[in-house]
Amino acid sequence: MTVLLDVAELSKRFPVGRAVGPIERLRRRLRGGGPVHLPHVHAVDDVSFVIGKGETVGLVGESGCGKSTLVRAITRLIDPTEGSIKLGMRELSLVPSRRFARDADRARIQMVFQDAGESINPRFTSFDAIADPLRRLKKLRGKALRAKVEQAAQQCGLPAELLGRFPHQLSGGQRARVGIARAVAVEPDLLVLDEPTAALDVSVQVVILQLLQRLKEQLGISYLFVSHDLSVVRLLCDRVIVMYLGKIVEVGPAREVFEHPLHPYTQALVAAVPSSDISGVERLRLLGEPMSPIDPDPNVCRFYGRCPRGVDQCKGAMPVLRRFGNREAACHFTGEKEGL
Amino acid sequence: MSTNVVTRPQRWWDSDFVYDFRHSPVAIVATIVTVVLIAVALGADFVVPFNVNDPASANVVDARLPPGSSGMFGSNYLLGTDPQGRDMLSAVIFGLRTSLMVGGASVVLAAFVGILLGLVSGYIGGWLDALIMRIADVQLTFPAILIALLIDGISRTAMDRATHEALAIPVLVVAIAATYWVQYARTIRALVLVERDKDYVLAARVIGVSPLRILLSHICPNVLGPIVVIATINLALAILTEATLSFLGIGVPPTTPSLGSLVRIGNEFLFSGDWWISAVPGAMLVALSLAVNLLGDWLRDALNPRLSGR
Repeated sequence: MTVLLDVAELSKRFPVGRAVGPIERLRRRLRGGGPVHLPHVHAVDDVSFVIGKGETVGLVGESGCGKSTLVRAITRLIDPTEGSIKLGMRELSLVPSRRFARDADRARIQMVFQDAGESINPRFTSFDAIADPLRRLKKLRGKALRAKVEQAAQQCGLPAELLGRFPHQLSGGQRARVGIARAVAVEPDLLVLDEPTAALDVSVQVVILQLLQRLKEQLGISYLFVSHDLSVVRLLCDRVIVMYLGKIVEVGPAREVFEHPLHPYTQALVAAVPSSDISGVERLRLLGEPMSPIDPDPNVCRFYGRCPRGVDQCKGAMPVLRRFGNREAACHFTGEKEGL
Repeated sequence: MSTNVVTRPQRWWDSDFVYDFRHSPVAIVATIVTVVLIAVALGADFVVPFNVNDPASANVVDARLPPGSSGMFGSNYLLGTDPQGRDMLSAVIFGLRTSLMVGGASVVLAAFVGILLGLVSGYIGGWLDALIMRIADVQLTFPAILIALLIDGISRTAMDRATHEALAIPVLVVAIAATYWVQYARTIRALVLVERDKDYVLAARVIGVSPLRILLSHICPNVLGPIVVIATINLALAILTEATLSFLGIGVPPTTPSLGSLVRIGNEFLFSGDWWISAVPGAMLVALSLAVNLLGDWLRDALNPRLSGR
């Protein structure tokens, strides 16, 4: 497997609020004091993973775990605080996001958004929505543009008659197709899908997932599939990354991760999926709230406090990702019971 | 039940907007009155019986004749004459033109400045946003007339008399626009704050659209809708402000008829029983601002999705 995207030790921290006002800051600077420390939200903290060529990787985790920040850093909409993002041989984290907007590699990483009704400009027809990236990134005009737009629409199962319509004149499924056509038209290497089916009816979801699967096989694109619908991830993804409060807690082949989760958080996540199984096996339930992401203690496991294990060792040392066969998990106790 | 049946594209006359219009007698009457008044004002040179701008057309002997009387030389004055013997009907039509011109120009200027500052304020944010919004707050604490008086006063001292006379109308436009830009800026800023966090802005950034282009070609068209409503309502307000200022003698120069300055001239003769000199331009002012206001009200209701389907 050739590596397409190599993310290493990536962190993104956001300052929160303003500890002191501008006048106080100026006074401190004049007095020659050091820089003022601001509290930071550690949205993504020391995250490393790879995506292979043609591979589909799932990214799961609860709201606020840093999925969106990670996705925005990878799609180069925001600049990471630390770490590297390598696309093929090229280091992208050194290119500021503003300059990357005009970069030749901009077309190589594209994104499909959650709700196509929101992500298509309401004043653009389907044609304009699909043509916009082609004009901008591929410099296509006139006949060539029209041909390419029609080809992309056809590839995504969007009838040519609908190209003249505005988003509000389309159904949810048709809008999703426009969103996908827009992203694949510029022939990206990596497509980030941010819950592409969350806004759709279940019956339409299946059709769109099948479309995505077919496109991947036809075009050889790699997918980073962000979702909190575990059954969808399991169906579509080769591997899955589980995130909790800015850190990766588990990585592995999707089927194995969901059948035998190693990390207690993944176990709780899997147990939370509603099922018709009423065998009476006690389900793992998470209590309480996640800890604050503002300047968390680097020596305490992020899951401490909610974790059913949670012993003193967990607040004395941050567990690192350890390898178990073809899988990885970040818990001190993984491998004890499983005998791996 | 919504269906995915392919229907023919909607024609503009099928829209809710047009349906609403056809079923609102107030809107129809207001539109007719507004359109007729604007048409008359634009075509003033062709419809007036007397060219009051030409001093030769005024006969001092015909001064202050009541409506319907005939002058010394057989001229018919439908709405009477003013103290200089000018035909009231013609003066009012020219006054209407001045008032509409000043009102329209100040609305355009205020909207332009307000939209620009609102876009910058909402999209860039930070200290620039704080600065613009504080200026707007301060602006709102002054009554419109005070600001206009201030600008007029400054321009009077800064320029000599002849220059001031020549520049009176632009100064008036700036003075009125300076009092009304805040509404546009605040509305646009609020709308931009909502739009800029929508996914389509992110989607535009993913394909490498620059921030300036996102602002101008993606956000801007999506926030301009309510401006039509504000501009219409503001037109009526601007016309009234112009009339007020001209009535107070700080608006248009005395030689230019405007609805406000005509009312002022008539004001001196009200107690001598020559009511028409004030009443005719006054009635015109009421008709114009009422029609424009009603039109604005109707537009606001018709374009507000939350009020549709009442």
